[in-house]
Amino acid sequence: MQVQVRLFANFRIGRFKEQMRDFPPGTSIRKAVEELGIDASQVGTVLVDSKYAKLDQELHENARLGIFPMVGGG
Amino acid sequence: MTLPSSEFYSRQILFRGIAQEGQLKLQAARVAIVGCGGTGSAIASLLARAGTGFLRIIDRDYVETSNLARQSLFDETDAAEFLPKAVAAARKLSQCNSGVDIEPQVADLAPDNVETLLADCSLIMDGTDNFETRYLINDFAVMKRLPWIYSAAVGSVGVTMNILPGETACLACMFPDSPRGALETCETSGILNAAVASIGALASAEALKFLTGAKSLMRRTLLSQDVWWNDYAEIPADTARADCRCCAQHEFPHLSGENRPHITLCGRNSVQIHEQRRTIDLGELEQRLLKQGAVRRNEFALRFWREPYELTLFPDGRAIIKGTTDVTVARSFYARFVSA
Repeated sequence: MQVQVRLFANFRIGRFKEQMRDFPPGTSIRKAVEELGIDASQVGTVLVDSKYAKLDQELHENARLGIFPMVGGG
Repeated sequence: MTLPSSEFYSRQILFRGIAQEGQLKLQAARVAIVGCGGTGSAIASLLARAGTGFLRIIDRDYVETSNLARQSLFDETDAAEFLPKAVAAARKLSQCNSGVDIEPQVADLAPDNVETLLADCSLIMDGTDNFETRYLINDFAVMKRLPWIYSAAVGSVGVTMNILPGETACLACMFPDSPRGALETCETSGILNAAVASIGALASAEALKFLTGAKSLMRRTLLSQDVWWNDYAEIPADTARADCRCCAQHEFPHLSGENRPHITLCGRNSVQIHEQRRTIDLGELEQRLLKQGAVRRNEFALRFWREPYELTLFPDGRAIIKGTTDVTVARSFYARFVSA
């Protein structure tokens, strides 16, 4: 299934801002995150179709997935 | 109320967003800045120069040479004298603008002092470097319905978000789970001084809007910007998460100290011990430690070197032990030379 993935902040570095990705049906957000090479423990906010989502939630065809990291330094 | 010095603020008053009315509101404002590192320094400098009437600067650390490339309020003399950052910042800011009241607090914001340090302010600014403190601020601010502004930076990326309890999402809406692994920090991933200055400036502008009564102009997004890769992005933060433990369920575990470790790592090769809350006579301890290693003391702290460790001790018994990240080693060093 096709999912539009949008990354934010330092998740973009060395990856991309926005990309269409193909995942098997039933893929969880956590699995998609791992496939993108992102450590799930670094994820702060996940949005699906502009709504808050949880990592264990399943993606659907043509979902718009946004992933924002926790940024902690100061 | 009259302006203390119209000359000082003359150009700011010309800006119609502030004007005389806004300047008077700023003069009456009380703001707490939690953490005075890179972002905290930038925020404190801008808010003090803008004429914020009262600024409480809360910081648990002391100035080190490795801070000076980005922490704009400090200089080499502060590092040589291992001055607490809160004290050094207050001195510098008072020289910048003697018309504002700066209160330094050399303290670790914790559940047992959060009420005392934050409740009498109308806005809380985040200059911290860790999520443990940010979740504590968030719990307190949401419970008391106090606005606060989250700011953070690492590498070339800065992020910021205005948290207006009852109106916007809170930190626990956006980041519901505490970090389970080690997040990137300035010590592990480096930091660009322009990143902290830039995100501190954005956060300060939002603070000025709030303090001058322009709340409707405040951003309701979680914003990120990368000053190196020329990237800027926002996601909406105008709605609380329906199942947010703070906004919806009114659970504030960080206020009761749940999950709070007795000893926290400072993010570099150091361990902080804050479990020994008691007054220590630094003069008496200095005499005792002189036989054990090199000792220096100022009116705010005592520093003791005994290879391979360096201990900085504050009068309330809190200590930062440099040279290890092993809590057991740090505890043992503290017990051996300060108190069991």
